[in-house]
Amino acid sequence: MSATTLSNSLIEIGWLATITIHALILILLGWTLAVRGLRIATDRRRQAMVTIWRPILAESLIEAPISLPAIHPRDHVLFLYLWNHLQESIKGESSEELCKIIRRTKMDEVVHHFLASGTMRQQLLAIVTLGHLKEEPAWQRLLALIHAENAFLSIEAARALVRIDATRAIPILVPLISHRADWSPLKVLSLLQGTGDELVAHALGEAALNAPPLIAARLLRFLASIRSHRALPLIRPILTRDPLHEDVLASCLSLFGQCTDPRDLPAVRQYLTHPTWFIRVQAATALGKMGIEGDEARLIGLLEDSHWWVRYRAAEALSLLPSMTDDKLSILVQTLPTTEARKVLTPFVAKRIQEALASTANVSAA
Amino acid sequence: MNTTPATEKPTLFMAEDEEDTASLLRFLLERSGYQVLHATDGHQAQHMIDTIAPPSLVLLDIMLPHFSGLQLLPYIRKKPEWHHVPIIMLTADSSEHDMQQALAAGANDYMIKPFNPRELTARLSRFLKPAA
Repeated sequence: MSATTLSNSLIEIGWLATITIHALILILLGWTLAVRGLRIATDRRRQAMVTIWRPILAESLIEAPISLPAIHPRDHVLFLYLWNHLQESIKGESSEELCKIIRRTKMDEVVHHFLASGTMRQQLLAIVTLGHLKEEPAWQRLLALIHAENAFLSIEAARALVRIDATRAIPILVPLISHRADWSPLKVLSLLQGTGDELVAHALGEAALNAPPLIAARLLRFLASIRSHRALPLIRPILTRDPLHEDVLASCLSLFGQCTDPRDLPAVRQYLTHPTWFIRVQAATALGKMGIEGDEARLIGLLEDSHWWVRYRAAEALSLLPSMTDDKLSILVQTLPTTEARKVLTPFVAKRIQEALASTANVSAA
Repeated sequence: MNTTPATEKPTLFMAEDEEDTASLLRFLLERSGYQVLHATDGHQAQHMIDTIAPPSLVLLDIMLPHFSGLQLLPYIRKKPEWHHVPIIMLTADSSEHDMQQALAAGANDYMIKPFNPRELTARLSRFLKPAA
């Protein structure tokens, strides 16, 4: 009797388990289909919104549209994406025309609301939009945000401040540019490139003169990346310092190479024989960008340097000298006395040959 | 340069992979009275160069999938019927090297993105007779 009861219980449990599992599968399937349906509907709605607004925004660059459709609250974020994307694609007076659209559709109020109480994504969108709008009333709020722990928020707030008033913003941002290692260098460069060279040269140059060596080197590298010619008169005196930190010296040489001012040639040549390998690397790299025919012998001498990177950059620099023709380079590689020197220069000869072939070859053959 | 009957719109061939930029350019150019033929990558551009009649002007983005604008440029210039078609390069990068290469390979002008829409149409008008 008890064996039969136990057996019946087991069968019941088995049936219950089967039904439960099937029910869960059906619920999961239903959920997946519902989410997919919702996704498709959302994509269609977004596409419809883009189809309506893209031509309107493009037309507004030339002349103000007579009427504008209403924007549903669920489309606010998408509209701002579209608007900002177009702002990033254009420049000049058309940008002003685009700003009028935001104000006519009252989206500027939405932007302020996003900034005050939106999600992270909405806040970021609001910050970028306010920068493009050159919204002066948002200055204090953005000023607070540049000190935010979140690197995305702070760097975008910095960029917005520069767009609103670069002259006021850059001196405020230089200490942050100096110390915030979490700010993407590419974004910092993008921020600096959007500002006038004179303003940036003066602000970063002055800061580099007075900063600790590692910070100074960082600032000099930014100046080199934006090829700030106006910073050169400020920076040249650094080379007379004693002692001179090697990171600072390397960054100075990088700046000289990027700016290619012939007045800096003697300084660059002087450091080709520096005892520290990465100084010689920077000097060789700079000489490749600004050197003359007389510098060929100096760079050929570096092909037998003790450090591989110095040999490599010297070979690259040689191949970049305007006086170093394809024929001259090919003859040189055959006449070099050591295997090491020939080995390091050969890839650059091959690259030159490849470039010469590519420029005359048919695309379909390639 | 192509001469087109007064009743026909001048044709612009545009190779641009970025959808929003292409849409904007198409809008601006069609509004200015040009017929726009658009390729979205280097492969499609090469096919169109081989099949369509020479346009009045070419707008060529430097960064394209498959074949770059710098690779397409000499390809266009080698075709006798396209040899005199004005080519304007579009680049998002102010790389001097790319622009030097483009001008040396036969480009007539270049524009750096982001571009000024009014400046773009003014530059195009240098190479084209104004559309009706």
